[in-house]
Amino acid sequence: MSGAQQHNIGRSVVRPDVRDKVTGATRFGGDLCGPEVLSASVVRAAHAHAKVIRVDFSKAKAIDGVIAVLGRDDIKGTNRHGLIKRDHPVFCDERVRYRGDAIAVVIATTPEAAKLGRDAVEVEYEALPVIATMADAQADGAERIHEFGNVLATQLIRKGDAAKALGESDVVVTRTFAMGGVDHAFLDLEAGYAEMDGDVVTIHASGQWVHEERRLIALALGLPVERVRIVQPPTGGAFGGREDISIQIYLGLAALTLGKPVRMQYTREESMVARHKRHPMEIEYTLGATRDGTLTAAKVIIRSDEGAYASTGPAVLRKAVSHCTGPYRVPHVEADGVALFTNNCPTGAMRGFGACQLAIAYEGAVLAVARELGMDVVELKKKNLVRDGDSITTGQVIPVASAIDCLDAALDRFHWNARRKDHPAPHLRRGYGVSTICFGLGYGDGYPDASRARVRFAEDNVLEVYSGGVDVGQGLHSLLAQIAGEEFGIDASRVRVIASDTALTPESGSSSATRQTLFSGNAVKLAAGEVHRQVMDAAAVMLGLHWEDLAIKGDRIVGIHHENVATPLAFVLSGARARGFTLDSTAVYKPRTVAPTDQSGRSPRAFLTYMFGSHAAEVIVDIETGEVRVERIVAAHDVGKAINPREVEGQIEGGVAQGLGMALMEEVVTRQGRILNASFTDYIIPTILDVPRIEAVIVERADLEGPHGARGVGEPPLIGAVPAILAAISDAIGHPVEQTPATAERVWKIIHQDNAEHLT
Amino acid sequence: MTDASTLEPLSFSLNGRPVTVDVDPRETLFDTLRERLRQTGTKGACLEGECGSCTVLLDGEPVTSCLVMALQVAGREVVTIEGIAESSQLSALQAAFVRAGAVQCGYCTPGLIVSATALLKKNPRPSEDEVRRGLAGNLCRCTGYNKIVDAVLDASREGEELSETGTAGARA
Ligand code: FES
Ligand code: FES
Repeated sequence: MSGAQQHNIGRSVVRPDVRDKVTGATRFGGDLCGPEVLSASVVRAAHAHAKVIRVDFSKAKAIDGVIAVLGRDDIKGTNRHGLIKRDHPVFCDERVRYRGDAIAVVIATTPEAAKLGRDAVEVEYEALPVIATMADAQADGAERIHEFGNVLATQLIRKGDAAKALGESDVVVTRTFAMGGVDHAFLDLEAGYAEMDGDVVTIHASGQWVHEERRLIALALGLPVERVRIVQPPTGGAFGGREDISIQIYLGLAALTLGKPVRMQYTREESMVARHKRHPMEIEYTLGATRDGTLTAAKVIIRSDEGAYASTGPAVLRKAVSHCTGPYRVPHVEADGVALFTNNCPTGAMRGFGACQLAIAYEGAVLAVARELGMDVVELKKKNLVRDGDSITTGQVIPVASAIDCLDAALDRFHWNARRKDHPAPHLRRGYGVSTICFGLGYGDGYPDASRARVRFAEDNVLEVYSGGVDVGQGLHSLLAQIAGEEFGIDASRVRVIASDTALTPESGSSSATRQTLFSGNAVKLAAGEVHRQVMDAAAVMLGLHWEDLAIKGDRIVGIHHENVATPLAFVLSGARARGFTLDSTAVYKPRTVAPTDQSGRSPRAFLTYMFGSHAAEVIVDIETGEVRVERIVAAHDVGKAINPREVEGQIEGGVAQGLGMALMEEVVTRQGRILNASFTDYIIPTILDVPRIEAVIVERADLEGPHGARGVGEPPLIGAVPAILAAISDAIGHPVEQTPATAERVWKIIHQDNAEHLT
Repeated sequence: MTDASTLEPLSFSLNGRPVTVDVDPRETLFDTLRERLRQTGTKGACLEGECGSCTVLLDGEPVTSCLVMALQVAGREVVTIEGIAESSQLSALQAAFVRAGAVQCGYCTPGLIVSATALLKKNPRPSEDEVRRGLAGNLCRCTGYNKIVDAVLDASREGEELSETGTAGARA
């Protein structure tokens, strides 16, 4: 670095992890190995719902190469895990509740022997009625999946008098929406490695919150947390899909019980069958407005398919309810949500959870009101979108409400007013759609949400950041280096990041809820700021000046008023250390949010802050086949401040592509609790031919809480994409599109439902 | 993997170097590379030919190594991601991936680089459409593909500049 001051913030620095990723040198969980490593394979349930009568390991144990078969009797701690309710058995005891339920884990000298052993474990079942749908779960006399019944949670919002206001509205629309389950489909399958290091079980596996995973693993293994260490390897995507425990307890149990290194890896099929999914939801949405297009009231009924276990379900339902009217001012709201257990794959966290399903519903309802009023939807939106200082449905006042800024930015870039109205061919219809969404960042709702970070100058004078926050591919660690370096004018590339290792790093919360930029970014900034003060304090002592008269400039500490004072920073750091000064600080960022009241479900600060976004999409629909091509998407998001603009664009582009998948093609198809498309042959995610050029527009209205005004960006791009695409299809075919995914078959059916009178 | 008695010797060229390894006749090239030779740069997200993350070059042609039986490569040339970088220097394409921000989690990256290397070899000046068609077999869940397309186009332009300078130099 030359003497010039480096600025990290707002600069598209190259992430340090990328070089090894382009050469193949990066070692993901499945790349880890060691001498004499054993292999593990999990025995899964053969029924979606059944009593377990008898389990017999003897045939499996007799197989050549099989070392051990471990089941519930080998669990020394709690035979349960789960993020909110601990209801998910590590190994099933008396009952299996979905086809991914685990019975045992087989450990063998080779992966092949482990699989043979797995297939040789004998389980006798007594089948129970399968609760395949939410209707089944609610039916009179339905079999109870859990002792307390089939209702996991309910949530509500009561604001004003929705029934009365709807009665007095000039127009009222009621629409029903349905969203299918979605798989995260990260490419890096669940895979990892565990070994004993003295009496510490060390597990190398990818999750999203190493410290919480350690707690759950330690509980299951019956060990104090100090005897479990999680080291997160480079991780090939997560998107919420690594929030629940997957392979970690099996690996830890095997290493602990056998005292030998063990590895395991799911197949794509096992990954899809065992791992939680995005919640399928059914939403009945009634929205009222006055003749001039002012929204009056909303009544929203949400049913959420929870699958067999709770996972993050209660939080997902709450997020759905609290985001039920999105970025709109709606004076009267009555929302009721219920999460129902079924014998389907459990559903849990996935990018934009709860908020993305509701965005489909409120944007669909707003479109229906516009149609009913014969009003341009952009005009209707602008009339009702929250502005700075307005409150949204939870009651929270939004100081920086940039929905309209984002909408304008998206429409501008799109050249919305100049959009072509012609159709490319008689059977090819062009259509346009626009969405506006909002999203509360962090866990919110009074949940204790915090990030901690340690910053120090190491003995070699390199600035170090210690964070428990995991990088799942989004570039968190590079971002933390930018923020820490900025405090000293040190280029991000020269900052060393030590991360996501429970033995070395402080607890920094999960990489989820679009929270790491905001939470860990702030924690790092606080700690780095304190280390900066420590350095200046030492420099002042060494130079005989007041610290306020000194500044760091490039590699040197200089006098602000004394031009002749200039000392290398490295000299000050060494001198400080020799004098016994501390150059090391740990900071906690732990802001307060407020839990909703039971009666109203409202809260003055449900979330720390909100972010807004708006997408404009163009599609072409083949009305003979129902096939949809997305031609163009512009996605504008107010990220507050783009700390690394290129990476922010990358998050927006990736989120839009996943939204496109959810809108058009991705659906976990389940019959009687069995997933019918548990492979990449049958579960289709967007290819490079499906995704058009995505135009990311970065809006920057500084956040009041975020580091350097930054909010984050992870989830909202997916949330905005789906309703924009659905609205564009609807524009092209002249019918509402209210079910995801809008597959060719479904679109064709919608077009032909009434002889396509709109198309002539 | 299996009894030593059922293994057969296999010789082929891996990244320009001759290798001989005992393999199970039923195993795939993917397993041979990763499990026997511990070359873990080649990734596998599906093992059924759908994702492209296991792509390697076989006699210069991109193939999904999870669908190639190990013994099929006897006497042939295999190039994996480990063989793409020119000694310790990144190839122009790898450097373009780094610059463009075409890598997020990076799990798809080795397969994409191998596929795109083959694409540029055949068609050094592809259009955007040709890039997309050339990479249609490689899934990426993180990036939305924009920056991947940019990186490949960028690398192809750089190739153009290089060869132009080369010609100019020769003329001078
Ligand atoms: S692993 Fe070979 S194509 Fe997916
Ligand atoms: S960068 Fe993650 S799959 Fe492509």
